[in-house]
Formats: sequence, structure tokens, C-alpha cells
Amino acid sequence: MTESLIWWSVAIYLLVAIAIAILSRQGKSQDMSGYFLGNRQMNGFVSALSYSATTYSAFMMVGLAGLTYAGGVGALGFEIIYFAGVSLVAIFGPKFWAVGKKFGFVTPSEMLGHRYKSKHVAMAVSIASCLFLIPYAAVQLAGVGYLLQGTTGGAIPFTTGVILATAIAIFFSYVAGIRSVMWTDSLQAIMMVVASTLVALLVIQGLGGFGALFDTLATEHPQSLTVPGSGLFSFVTFLGLTIPWFFFSLSNPQVSQRLFMPASLRSMRQMLLGFLVFGFVYTLVSVLWGFSALAAFPGLASADLATPTLLGSVHVPPVLGVIVMIGIMAAAVSTIDSIMLTLSSMLARDVYANVKPGTSEKRQLIVGKVVIPVIALMALGFAELQLDLIAVLSVAASSGLVAVVPAIIGAFYWKRGTAAGALVSVIGTGAFVLFVYAIGNSFLGLPAGIWGIIVSSVLFVGVSLLSRAPEDRADEFLDAIASQLRIRKTAGVVSEPPLQQAKAGH
Amino acid sequence: MQRSKWVWLVWAVVLLCYLVPYTLLTDVQAWYGSFLFWTVAGLAVIALNVFITKDFEGK
Repeated sequence: MTESLIWWSVAIYLLVAIAIAILSRQGKSQDMSGYFLGNRQMNGFVSALSYSATTYSAFMMVGLAGLTYAGGVGALGFEIIYFAGVSLVAIFGPKFWAVGKKFGFVTPSEMLGHRYKSKHVAMAVSIASCLFLIPYAAVQLAGVGYLLQGTTGGAIPFTTGVILATAIAIFFSYVAGIRSVMWTDSLQAIMMVVASTLVALLVIQGLGGFGALFDTLATEHPQSLTVPGSGLFSFVTFLGLTIPWFFFSLSNPQVSQRLFMPASLRSMRQMLLGFLVFGFVYTLVSVLWGFSALAAFPGLASADLATPTLLGSVHVPPVLGVIVMIGIMAAAVSTIDSIMLTLSSMLARDVYANVKPGTSEKRQLIVGKVVIPVIALMALGFAELQLDLIAVLSVAASSGLVAVVPAIIGAFYWKRGTAAGALVSVIGTGAFVLFVYAIGNSFLGLPAGIWGIIVSSVLFVGVSLLSRAPEDRADEFLDAIASQLRIRKTAGVVSEPPLQQAKAGH
Repeated sequence: MQRSKWVWLVWAVVLLCYLVPYTLLTDVQAWYGSFLFWTVAGLAVIALNVFITKDFEGK
């Protein structure tokens, strides 16, 4: 990889992505749902690709390949259980979508605040999300910095890579809000799945084919093909990793907010099924990368080097290596810009507007737009500082965000759920998870990932039973879902906004 | 088949994803062990979601 090849590739990527971002504009968004939800008119195809790009951060290509390298096939099991958890979209998606349309919710935390009749619930969920997701975004940024610095042999220094990624993320968010984010996400997702599949095929071919690869693994690293295998994936560790990720599609607001956006339930179905196909290919490819690296380069000092080593090997043509490298940078950007948009919508809608009642939509939008670069700069600062605390918060993100899951399930299925229950469960679980991480991620022999869902469920149910439920609100909420979904059913295709209209801007 | 039955099948697949590789397949050191099992489980999840969301069409 020469320095000029790298910079030319970055420039071409930027040019195409900026063109797509600008083309995605569709008039000026004057309100929150226009800017943050694409007017609830997003089509299924773009939604599917963007959902994939947002979910699969740079973690997949570097982290999952590394996890496979270090721990073997258990990494595949971990991803497949996450993958099965996305079925929660099929169950909760239509409900989110129905109440979103009926009550005009912009954020998942706003929905919870309404359902439990408490501003404090909305505020607590928003702030907890920021607490875990800003460090998560920061670690993504730092990952980009290291990757670019490592694979280019220092031609793109750490700080340049981090600043570049932050600037791109801010730009993509600003051009047209969620619309530009989703369309640039789509570019990234397509580029990435094609390039990474090519790399996997070329490398496996270079190693003598699929059969030869697995023969090598079976003779030289037999434990990599089983669990617990070498021991990294003990059953308890596996549970601790998979449980929080199983609930990812509900617990992480940057993806659960997507459930408000599809133009119709048909679009939502396309989003879900498109994501599943994409995610399945991407998962297998990442795991095969890890296996290939293990077969070809068994003695690496660190598992994180599996991907860079593979990309720099003789099996991968330099141009393809550069494309994947830029793809990994874009993957981080597409995760970060979605997180930034979601968090800023939550801060504007659920914190600012609740502290200052009567704030107009226009005013909220201005606040949201001001908050976007603030979040980005915080993530940038954390990435540069490389604080231990940030790393802990980032690792704790998936376990900590699980805190909100019982309150979400309760919102739709348990009328006895109360604001006090939701509040105590979100705050208490967040604090407890951080405590478990602080003492070395083992409390009574179990990791935070397992404790998170247990503690949050017990707190939510226990405190709810001790407090008064907002029964009128629960009835109104559940009736709205029933009537909204019934109307759609009887009105049939007629109620669906024409697809052409949704595509008109492109 | 009812929507909820397909949903229960997904949960059954998830349960098997925990049980089978850690018991039956824990000594099968080949591609047709846990690797194949979890891959097929992934495909099953896709198929089940097709059925779960069947009635989303036309809404």
C-alpha cells in the first residue's frame, strides 16, 4: 500500500459519499421527525442497508475476526445469538411503529416517558444512553485511528485518522439529518460486504480452499472448532457476552429509533429481512477471516492484528486491501453518525424540552443540531485521551444499556409497570453494571452481562409492584397499537404511502 | 401456522444454540461440528423471520 494509493482512495470515497449525502436531501426539514426520522417515510431497502451499517461497526471486521482468531468458533455462536435476537424487531417493530405514528414519538426514550407518564423516565434513559454510547463512539474512533496508522505504516497518523472520521461523521449528519446518514450508510454497507466477501474468497483460495482451511484448523488448532475450545468461551463467559447482545435491537437507541422510520410495515419487513441476509453474510465472512488468519499466521502477538495482517498478506491485492481499509473506516463513521444523531435527538427532545416545557419543535431542532458537534467533539476528545474509564464505559455499554429492556417489554406487555420501576431499574442497573466492571467483571462468579438483565428485571418488577401504575396511560397506549395496526390492516395497500414519493428525492 | 408459533420456534433455536455446541458437539473438531450448527441456526432464523413478518405485507 503506497501512501498516494491510500490518499487517492480516501479522496474518491469522500467524493462519492458527499455526492450521495447531498443527493439525499429532500427539502429543508423544519421539524424533529423530518430531520431525525426522515419524516417516517424511509423505504425498506435503504433502511435495511443503513440498519446493517449502524449495527455492524468496525468491531466486526477487526474485533470479530480477532475473537475468532483467539477463541475459535464460539465467536460465530456469539454473533448468531445476537442475530437471532434481532427477531425482536419482528415482534416489537410494529408496536414501536404504531405508537410512533399515533403519538408522534421521535425517540424511544420519549415513548417510555409517555407510557410511564414521567418526564424523569425519558430523561434518565436519555442520559444513561449518552453515558454509555459516547464512550462507545470514542472507542470506535480510536479504533479507526489505530487501524489507519497500523495498516498504512504511519502514513496516516492516529490523530489524523480520528479527526478525519469525526469530521466525516459530523458532515454526514448535518447535510440532511437521518436521510444523509442512511444513504451514506447504504453506500458503505454495499461496498463493505462486496469487498470483505472478495477478501474472504481470495484468502481461502490462497490457503488451498475451504476444505484445506478446515483441515489445517482440525489438525493444527482442533480446539478452535469447538466450544469451550481453548477456554476463552467458557459457558459463563459465553452467556455474559451473548445475553446483552441478544437484546441489542431493543436496548440500543440508535437502532430502536429506526423502528419509527419505515414508511410502512412492508418497508419494516424489508428492513428486517434485508438486514438478516446482510448480517448473515457479514458474520460468516468475518469469522472466516479470523479462521484464515489463524491457519496462515498462527503466532501473532495479539488477536487484534489478525485483520491487518490478513489485509497486508500476499493473498489480498493492494487495491482490495485499501478498499477494505477505507470500508472499515466508513463502518466506524456509519455507526458513530447514527449514534450522534440519536443521542442529540434524545438530549433535545427528552432532556432540554422537558427541562424547559413549551419548547417548540423548531427550537428543539436547533438544540439538536447544536448538540451534534458537541457529542462528536466529546467522542473525539475521549478517543485522543485514551482514558481507562472510557474503555470501561465502552465495554460496559452493551450490559449497561440492557437496563432499559424490562421497561420496554413492560411498556407493551405489562400494565402494572410504573415510572418508579422504570427509573429505579435504569439507574440502579447502570450503576450496578459499572460496579461489577470496576471490580473485574465478576460478581459472585458471574459477569456483568448476566447480572444486567437479572438486576434490571428484578428492580423493574419489584419497584413497579410497590408503586401505582398509570393505568389510564397504559390502556391508551395499548389501544393505540391495536387500533393503529387494525386500521392498516383493513385499509390494506391503500394506506401505504406510494414508494415513488419516498424515492422522489433521489 | 400462527405468528406466535414461529416466534416460539426462534426462541427454541436460540436455546439450542446454547445447548448443542456445549454438549453434543463439544468434541466434534471439524467444520461439520459447531461451525455448521450455528451457520444452519442463522439460516433458520432468517427463514423464521420471513414467516413471522408475513402479514406485514400490504399494511
